[in-house]
Amino acid sequence: MASIIQGANTRTDAVQMNEAEPKGWLGLIFMLPSIAFITGLFIIPLIMTVWMSFYNWPLLGRAKFIGFANYIELLGDSQLWHSLGFTLLYTVLVTAAIMIVAFPLAMLVDRPLRLAGFFRTIYFMPVVIGFGAASTLWMWLLNPDSGVFAQLLLGSGLVDSAPRPLESFWPALAVIILMVVWKTAGFTMVILLTGLQGIPADLIEAAKIDGAGVWSRFRRITLPLMRNSLLLALVLNVTSSMLAFDQFFIITQGGPENSTISAVFSIYLASFSSYRLGYGSAMSFALLVVLVAISSIQLTFMRQRPEES
Amino acid sequence: MALKKGTAMHKYKLMISALSLLTSATFANATDVNLWVRTSSGAVLQALAERYNASHPDKIVVTQITAEQMVPKLGAAIAGGAPPDGAVLDLIYLPTFAAAEGLEDISDWVKSRPEAAAMSPSHIRLATYDGKIYGVPALPDASIIAYNTDLFEKAGLDPAKAPASLEEIAEDAKKIAALGDGTYGFYFVANSGSWLIYDFLPHIWAADADILSEDGRTATVDTPALRDTIAAYRDMWKAGAIHPTSRSGNGNNALEAFASGKVGILMTGSYIVNLLTSKFPDVKFQVAPIPGPKGGVSSFAGGDTLALMKGIDEEKKRVALDFIDFYMKPDEQVFITQESGMPSRTDLAKEAYTKFDQRNLVAYDVLSKARTPYTFSSDELFVARTGPFVNLIQGAIFGDEVDGSISKAQEDFTRILERTNP
Repeated sequence: MASIIQGANTRTDAVQMNEAEPKGWLGLIFMLPSIAFITGLFIIPLIMTVWMSFYNWPLLGRAKFIGFANYIELLGDSQLWHSLGFTLLYTVLVTAAIMIVAFPLAMLVDRPLRLAGFFRTIYFMPVVIGFGAASTLWMWLLNPDSGVFAQLLLGSGLVDSAPRPLESFWPALAVIILMVVWKTAGFTMVILLTGLQGIPADLIEAAKIDGAGVWSRFRRITLPLMRNSLLLALVLNVTSSMLAFDQFFIITQGGPENSTISAVFSIYLASFSSYRLGYGSAMSFALLVVLVAISSIQLTFMRQRPEES
Repeated sequence: MALKKGTAMHKYKLMISALSLLTSATFANATDVNLWVRTSSGAVLQALAERYNASHPDKIVVTQITAEQMVPKLGAAIAGGAPPDGAVLDLIYLPTFAAAEGLEDISDWVKSRPEAAAMSPSHIRLATYDGKIYGVPALPDASIIAYNTDLFEKAGLDPAKAPASLEEIAEDAKKIAALGDGTYGFYFVANSGSWLIYDFLPHIWAADADILSEDGRTATVDTPALRDTIAAYRDMWKAGAIHPTSRSGNGNNALEAFASGKVGILMTGSYIVNLLTSKFPDVKFQVAPIPGPKGGVSSFAGGDTLALMKGIDEEKKRVALDFIDFYMKPDEQVFITQESGMPSRTDLAKEAYTKFDQRNLVAYDVLSKARTPYTFSSDELFVARTGPFVNLIQGAIFGDEVDGSISKAQEDFTRILERTNP
């Protein structure tokens, strides 16, 4: 440490205060709050999770070291593999749905009109509701006896009896995706909007002068230049969908017949229904590995510059 | 009022003396006993605590905990070394906490009570582990059926005669459903484990069978009683006699559906009498015990048990036990009956019910026959929406695979029991 400071000092002397470098300890102090947070709320719990995953750790009673037994059990746990598969299916469908809705929304509100701001706010509003609250709200909206949707559909004469989407798999998944799109499309819209607004107007102007049509302007200029915000939106959506929990816990409650149990839900069940904290930790760690793998693939794409590909 | 002022003054003085004696380790002070109570029982326990606190120098402090979070929170608190002094919790969790050495043995105290013989037998059975008693009944309830007497008359049935078997219920339900105009014969809450053990298991007990062995360590899912019960339910479902919300219902609409006068028979609990008479006084109904498939009756002894946490300080223990003595007094039992429909003691029918609806006595009489599964893994086996019991009911009644659902449930029960038996 001393030698570094010494070195820094000599260098500062050498450049004659031309480019005053901040002192090392000052930088450390600035970083301290976030280091403390990350250590306390992420690194230490992560180490504890890994540590607990080597134990048979019931909620009540004594913990017992069992080595890799939890991880071996994990490999043969069909419920877990089923829930991972379901989570992937959900992630693909919901991410596609959000993109399909959010992209046109972003294009629509990217206009120099006064009303555009109003609509931006409207589309963004569901984002500020908590996921748990939104799920509870939808659970009541979907209630077949007193819910708004059932009353509207019955009142308009579109159906004869109240729809009960939560009683079979695909309708249940469909209403969940509908709810998540309503809840989160506004956020993706904002990310895409920043991308859209980062495109210099003169580029579009030039393309117009060169005679490029609407479609080719979109394909050859807008899309490539929005690459980074598109990828960011993708990474965020994929990550949050892989971690989906509230909507399944509250609205479908894992039903019908345990077909909508997401990966995090199965961790919850292991930890807080079976009270197997050690096994839950092993599952959490395995899910973390999967998530890191998925995110690093996406980030590799993101690091490549458009001109390189 | 004068009394209240007096106690406030007293408290103030005590605070001063406490401050002046901070250095001393032994000063006389009012003892606070912290009780965790699940929210559904929170209001009644809070009221009891206030009545106790108003007449005693010591304080019972009630903290309400959401029902589903009671076990994880209490478990975490015990593991973290900072549990409350006691808890008023669903009696079904008593074996779990007792086996994990989380509760204080109060056997001698319970046995020495004059009302010991009058405590609900199922509550005491669940509170007993390894021959020791760890809790006493606080707010019991029992599952029963309620039926709409108007609909019974319309369907040509005798409203004075309750259905004596589940098969009779199925026949009645089909007749009521045949009235048409959105009327259904039967409503049960099929998508919630805690509702299902409450309302479905009594059919099986009434036929002298059980889903678990007496000690809770072995699964006995596949019994003729279970198959007969499922057959009767399937019969009703196929005939369209069961309210369609039963299948996905979690209990939120059950009362309203019955109160709307469109449901013939509702699987419910003892609290329904006071709830209906106060909220929906126009509904004409009668209640009866839950019958078995071919006869016999039983019930689920539910509700709350008060238990003390292991290692509770002697002074706090004295206050907590004094609080139990307080609410076991006839006056307080009348208050409990008024608030929650059933007294904690089974020897006070006259005192407790004179002022109230006599239909309450149906559940009261059946409580001594009522049962509760003795299990160390209630949540995983029964309560979890994703657990084997809910899946058994959903699959066997609404699905097509009766045999498959039963054998899968037996397998899953056995697997879970092998892992969780202490």
